[in-house]
Amino acid sequence: MDYARFVRLRRPVWEAFERQLAASGRRPSHADLEETALRYRQVLHDHALAAARYPGTAAAQRLRSLAVEGTHRLIRDGRNGREDDGLVRFFTRTFPALFRLHLPLIGVAAALFLLSIFWGLAITAFRPSLGTAILGPAAVAGLEEGRLWTESLVTTTPPSVSSSSIATNNVSVALTAWIGGLLAGLGPLYVLVTNGLLLGSVLGLTLHYSMGGELLEFISAHGFLELTLIVVASAAGLGVGRAMVAAGDRPRSLALRDAGRDSLKLLLGCLPWFVLLAAVEVFVSPRPELPVSLKLVLGLSLETAFLALALYPHRQATRDSQ
Amino acid sequence: MADLQRESILTLDNIRLDLPIAGIGSRTLAAIVDYLCLAVLWILWILASLLTFVALKDVPWVATWAPVVNLGGLFLLDWGYFAGQEIATGGRTLGKRALKLRVLTAEGGAPGAWALLARNLVRSLDLVFGIPLMALDPLARRLGDRLAGTLVVHDRGREAALFIGRVPPGWGPRELTLVEALLARAGTMDDAGRVRDMAEQVLRRIERDAPELLARIDTRSDPVAAIRRALEVEEG
Repeated sequence: MDYARFVRLRRPVWEAFERQLAASGRRPSHADLEETALRYRQVLHDHALAAARYPGTAAAQRLRSLAVEGTHRLIRDGRNGREDDGLVRFFTRTFPALFRLHLPLIGVAAALFLLSIFWGLAITAFRPSLGTAILGPAAVAGLEEGRLWTESLVTTTPPSVSSSSIATNNVSVALTAWIGGLLAGLGPLYVLVTNGLLLGSVLGLTLHYSMGGELLEFISAHGFLELTLIVVASAAGLGVGRAMVAAGDRPRSLALRDAGRDSLKLLLGCLPWFVLLAAVEVFVSPRPELPVSLKLVLGLSLETAFLALALYPHRQATRDSQ
Repeated sequence: MADLQRESILTLDNIRLDLPIAGIGSRTLAAIVDYLCLAVLWILWILASLLTFVALKDVPWVATWAPVVNLGGLFLLDWGYFAGQEIATGGRTLGKRALKLRVLTAEGGAPGAWALLARNLVRSLDLVFGIPLMALDPLARRLGDRLAGTLVVHDRGREAALFIGRVPPGWGPRELTLVEALLARAGTMDDAGRVRDMAEQVLRRIERDAPELLARIDTRSDPVAAIRRALEVEEG
């Protein structure tokens, strides 16, 4: 077929497809969709012919531009057509399924975190002077006088400001742990080890000054869940790192894309809890008038609520995700 | 569009489709525009928070919650400026609009919200690794693109085209492209003498290959118009 005949015969199809694309802002009927899909296929085939036989011509350029636009409009991202999960579905189905999927990595992250805590504890037990370097001289001076540095959370700044600062800081730490997964998993490892070391050192130092009970009282309301969330966020980052380092029998780009999407959903499922915990950390944890038992019950309840949400509906969620 | 870097993807029926990949230059420029916009939004947000605080300082809850709203807004701007815009507009930030760029999936489709969120949350790492990675990759993908499976392409919209209705025998894509380019640019070229020279060369070639196409056409007064009439050129 010569060029002029090709253009004459096929141009009505291209123009009809172009009109359909221009009108695709409206909700299309089933028949419209079928027609658009058919024309898209015709345009693709015409594009292949024009690119091979008439490269560089106006028809070839128009067809390429139409094919690119059509592909953009008709091919949607997202597996199983569930890209736009609602919030309820996300927290009751998607998040639990991904939590379960990441359980081995969560286990690895938790083990690393615990090891780092013991490491920090051991270091401070043998060298208490290291605690000054970690906490700073002012905090250590306070400990010598029998005061925890956490009192400043409500004495030097308004609780609302402390709360939002803590929330944004914790969310930033979680995001950093996930983002760092792209450095072959080194980011979440760093977050786990440094936070574990810090916590262990702080515990060791407060025990050295016989203030361990006060510290445990302070963290009893928010600490369990906060540490769990840091471990889960780091496990999400480790998931990304694993896809980068060991993609298995799949193309690395595909493994990375799936790991990125799944781990991001896992991470985002944790973020609202960070905001809630920041409020607890400022409005409940530093209050000496509240009994320890109440703080402990609150802390354990929050932890149980999170784990119940993450683990309870897993059977149905797993079936959905398949 | 001929100057653009192109990379192929496979579409339905394994048909190869060249995407006009946006290179490191246009993407960096778009990012600079976006960061400038972000800086302006930061300043505006801080000013608005301060003014609100000063105007309503006697209202008890304002003193308590104004810093929280301010801090939350800055946090959302930091993490949400790029992702929010791309999710709302289907892959375009202000910078990308200015440079006529758009985000697509690696298959040429429309990226979903998760992909757009993922590619933008890792921007802090890409400030370090993004430029060398884009320079080395034929698809100019930074870390965020690799994680989300996305590409950034030029999005120049529909360009007017000229379709030739009659082709002299023996003409191939090379001749067709040349004539189409001449007709498309003739009106915008400054050197009218050069346009006339080129048009007369084309007319001589038509006369040699298919003299019947020039029958009853005045080729002397306006050679460009004569080519249009001889080849039955239509705009589309």
